[in-house]
Amino acid sequence: MPARTTPSPALSRRRFLRGAAGTALALPCLESLEAAGTAAPPVRVAFYYVPTGVLLDEFFPGRATDPARMRSSPHAHLASRTLEPLEPVADKVTLVTGLDRIWRNTSDQHEQCGSCFLSSIDPRLPGGSRMPQGRTLDHVIAAAVGGDTPFRTLEFSGNTHRDHKESIHYDTISWYGPDHAAPSMRDPQLAYRRLFAGAATAPTARVTDLVLADARSLALELGAADRRKLGEYLESIRSIEVQMDRLAALRGELERMRLPEPAAAHLPRGEHLRLMGDLLVAALQSGLTNVATFMAAPERWDTGFLFEGISGTPLSHHLLSHVGWSEELRQIDRFYMAAFAALLEKMDAIREADGSTLLDNTILTYGSGLSNGAAHDVSDLPIVVAGRGGGRIASGRQIRCPPGTPLANLWLAQAAAVGLDLDSFADGTGVLPGVLVS
Amino acid sequence: MTFACQPTTAARRHRRSLACLVAAAVAAAVGAHAPAAPAIAPTLAAHCVGCHGRDGEINGAVDLRALLEAGSAGVDADLLARVLDAVRDGEMPPPDAPPLADAARADLVAGLDGLLAVTAARPARTPLRRMTRFQYGNAVTDLLGLEGDLFALPECICRDISGYFAPASGRMPDTLMAGNRIMGKGQLIVDRLSGVLPFPQDPRAANGYDTRGDLLALSPVLMESFLELSRSIFASPEFDETTCGAWGRYFAPPDGSEPVPAAVSRRLADLLARAFRRPVDPDVLGRYVAYTLERIEAGDPFPTAMQAAAGAALASPRFLYLHDGVTTGPAPEPLDDHELAARLSFFLWSSIPDDELRGLADAGRLTAGPVLAGQADRMMDHPRMKRFCDAFAGQWLKVEQLVAVEPDPRLFPDFSRFGVVSHAHRASAHMMLEPLLVFETVFVENRPVTDLIHSDFTYRTPQLRQFIARAGTFTPPIDGPAWSETLRFERVPVTGLREGGVITTAAIMTMTSGPSETKPITRGKWVVETILNDPPPPPPGDVPPLAEAVAGPGLTQRQRFALHATAAACAGCHARIDPYGFALENYDPVGRWREVDGQGLPIDPSGVLFGSVPFRSVEELKAGLLAKRERFARAFAGHLLKYALGRELTTADRPALDRIVAHTAPAGHRLRDMLREVVLSEPFRTKFNPAAEPVEP
Repeated sequence: MPARTTPSPALSRRRFLRGAAGTALALPCLESLEAAGTAAPPVRVAFYYVPTGVLLDEFFPGRATDPARMRSSPHAHLASRTLEPLEPVADKVTLVTGLDRIWRNTSDQHEQCGSCFLSSIDPRLPGGSRMPQGRTLDHVIAAAVGGDTPFRTLEFSGNTHRDHKESIHYDTISWYGPDHAAPSMRDPQLAYRRLFAGAATAPTARVTDLVLADARSLALELGAADRRKLGEYLESIRSIEVQMDRLAALRGELERMRLPEPAAAHLPRGEHLRLMGDLLVAALQSGLTNVATFMAAPERWDTGFLFEGISGTPLSHHLLSHVGWSEELRQIDRFYMAAFAALLEKMDAIREADGSTLLDNTILTYGSGLSNGAAHDVSDLPIVVAGRGGGRIASGRQIRCPPGTPLANLWLAQAAAVGLDLDSFADGTGVLPGVLVS
Repeated sequence: MTFACQPTTAARRHRRSLACLVAAAVAAAVGAHAPAAPAIAPTLAAHCVGCHGRDGEINGAVDLRALLEAGSAGVDADLLARVLDAVRDGEMPPPDAPPLADAARADLVAGLDGLLAVTAARPARTPLRRMTRFQYGNAVTDLLGLEGDLFALPECICRDISGYFAPASGRMPDTLMAGNRIMGKGQLIVDRLSGVLPFPQDPRAANGYDTRGDLLALSPVLMESFLELSRSIFASPEFDETTCGAWGRYFAPPDGSEPVPAAVSRRLADLLARAFRRPVDPDVLGRYVAYTLERIEAGDPFPTAMQAAAGAALASPRFLYLHDGVTTGPAPEPLDDHELAARLSFFLWSSIPDDELRGLADAGRLTAGPVLAGQADRMMDHPRMKRFCDAFAGQWLKVEQLVAVEPDPRLFPDFSRFGVVSHAHRASAHMMLEPLLVFETVFVENRPVTDLIHSDFTYRTPQLRQFIARAGTFTPPIDGPAWSETLRFERVPVTGLREGGVITTAAIMTMTSGPSETKPITRGKWVVETILNDPPPPPPGDVPPLAEAVAGPGLTQRQRFALHATAAACAGCHARIDPYGFALENYDPVGRWREVDGQGLPIDPSGVLFGSVPFRSVEELKAGLLAKRERFARAFAGHLLKYALGRELTTADRPALDRIVAHTAPAGHRLRDMLREVVLSEPFRTKFNPAAEPVEP
């Protein structure tokens, strides 16, 4: 055995365990939700991420100069060609313009787009990684609105690539912390089995006791940095224990949903996104989780996707983005927007116990970590906030932010909407005005 | 300017705690070797400081004023290392600055090298890291003595069908049968336990390997997979005495010669010591024994109870995490015998130590240099080295990227009509194995690693040979072996420098091309990452879009991309990336030789290597790389060490790289010799795990 030293008081075993389990799981759920019992549906928060930015003059109303690229709409905030699919839910979506993100000159732009989208930590803050990346908003607010759902958060992805071309930072928007990815589910069949047919294989409490004891004794033999890394293990085991108990309690509810299991098949792109979207909606509807992320496609990866209806050959979104306007690129932007709109329509068709719709009780944000992909521009990001967050989110309008407004101000507003009053988050300077119902 | 030695987060943390210490050491060292510094000062003043420090002009965030005043405590080892690399590789001074004479460059390199040798770098830390999927599968297979694989892994791309891989023989056969595991669906059907589902493939680092500890994270969804996996192995209907070689050792009911509790304790002590890679602590053993006896008392048959305990062990962090113990001093300390055994076996075999290695560790003999070298040699003779070739070579070459390549069928009809019947007979299924087989040959035959730049042989299927020779579509005999997914590779001699080695294989050239045209910058980037291990920094944030007009006809790729080099923000990096890509323009988008590009325009492959060696063709480029063999050997040693340690390298690792290169130079940098030297290197044999978090200054 290596020489042992007494762990410093600051990282005692007790604190180590408390850090792993306590902060993550033991925060009480919101009083307002608890008091209302089952009558008031919980507020759900979800994020839909599109890589590589968009064609700006096709996206932002009033930006196009060529009449052929303009579209008029009775809803001024949707008067562009790319936003057209949102028309059916126009009064439940808000266009937010003028938000910026930080790019730090330490790694590739695309590497930071998705991986820092929901954190955007000020690089000047201590304890940061080589990127402006921290614990992402989904995990921060899951502690507050997660309630007693089996899964604190769920991560979905529409990435079907098999060539492992890019590292995980290009492929994940949900992070427990710097360099600690929350891996996403990307195979609809496996995701279905995990969410709706799981619990059959729950580990026994004795096994988790045994391995937890190993983890605790191992932690005493490690250096400080390794001990911190091992915290991932403890937190994971604890989460699973809680999840299994809660899944068992939810079993009847899940069975009533009668969701068919997807077949194992290689699916057309739109079909794959639709199936994953169905699972996302079902998970939010059934109470499997209240917080979710959906990364429609990975950043930069120049491998082509076959977008049915756009082209018979695979198209590389990233490569197209660097050429400037093309009909294919315009249609890709629209393709992802249509998939987002389909999610919204689906959620708006689901009635909750009090007669409101799932969309009424959700805050689902569409966004990309780049605005103009060709220039790797991180200002004036394309952001659409959908859903009314249980009546706390104002909708059906455009919010114009002054130049330089941090994206994190929107995240502060969304945290506030679910009752989480953060003193600060990332590089945010304050709650973004106009988001919350005043 | 190179950023290859960017400090990791961990390294930065140590910088804080060790700042005072390092500063003191530097001051002392520089003071003691005062003559080394003045030699570089005049050259720096004349050629470098004008753009890097004088009058507030600090290009690339590199300020060299501190270097001029060497003797002050401001010399940073990382900065020194960056400057040294840039000067040695001829990146600096840039082309538009007054050139540095060869002799002056050599003096500057020597001076910087001397200064770096006495400048203390922050110790590098090899982190705790979760097993990769590949390592997990191998470790379980070896622990339980499974027949066949635990699960079929696409990670091992080149499947040995004819049993060609025999490192002890020192010779690869002239003809061999192989399968492409990624591209042939049938290749994934292997003998394995049913009901066992692997967890998702681990991400790999940019220009790195899936062994990177900081990226091998654990999450609830992955932990579920581990728990389910460890359970399902023993729940599989095939798991019995016929498939599990260790059945008698662990799971067979005891014969009555000892009490059941004693049998459980003895067997678990052995199982856990192997699984956890060190003699098991009595407390740990006690818990597993108690659990097993509980299950037996509750009515479980003996084998079932033992399997439950083994299943728990496979989900234990002591199994899942490669880890080394805490250190007490301000500098790295030697690994203990068991830590070294584990590091060695995971490096070479991607698995737990075998009984011989474990025995030496138990006896406390492994840390002795000759014993360690002897074990490395023994292990390198073992067929398990195929795992190293599978895991390392595929990631080093990034050949998986070939899977998704879709050349335009109108332009390259014979690519997809390569064999008509299945995906396995796209040309890429054959191409992908060529560089992997060259790599395996360099290993098995202990050839110089420069054979990866150029070799006088290669391995190709008859179909691939015909394809590359543009000799029309290969017509295989109906029902002949060419129609199956088993590919017959033949060793073919290579004359001239256009072929041979890995760079110019059809696999790499196709993988770095678009559907209809080559991608010179992608090719150049592959060369600087893979061959030179010197990845470029990220492109600047404000890249001006290339005007659409320049994409028009009549311009070669080279002329179009010349725009990159005109924008100041882009020029520095593209000057060292693009020439390699342009030099490879004679290979078309499916890797065949051409004299004119896709538009019929003449190709200009000329360029300058390392800022000083002009070349007119890809042959001259390869010759130039071969002439600077130590440059490639160093880059390659860096790749090996990164893979072995599961982390980025830092300035502190440079002396080890220097030694690996120097020690293997007399025999020409042979691959097995380099692997042995990696094992014997200081970073491989030490750990640095301070007990306390560094205190913020």
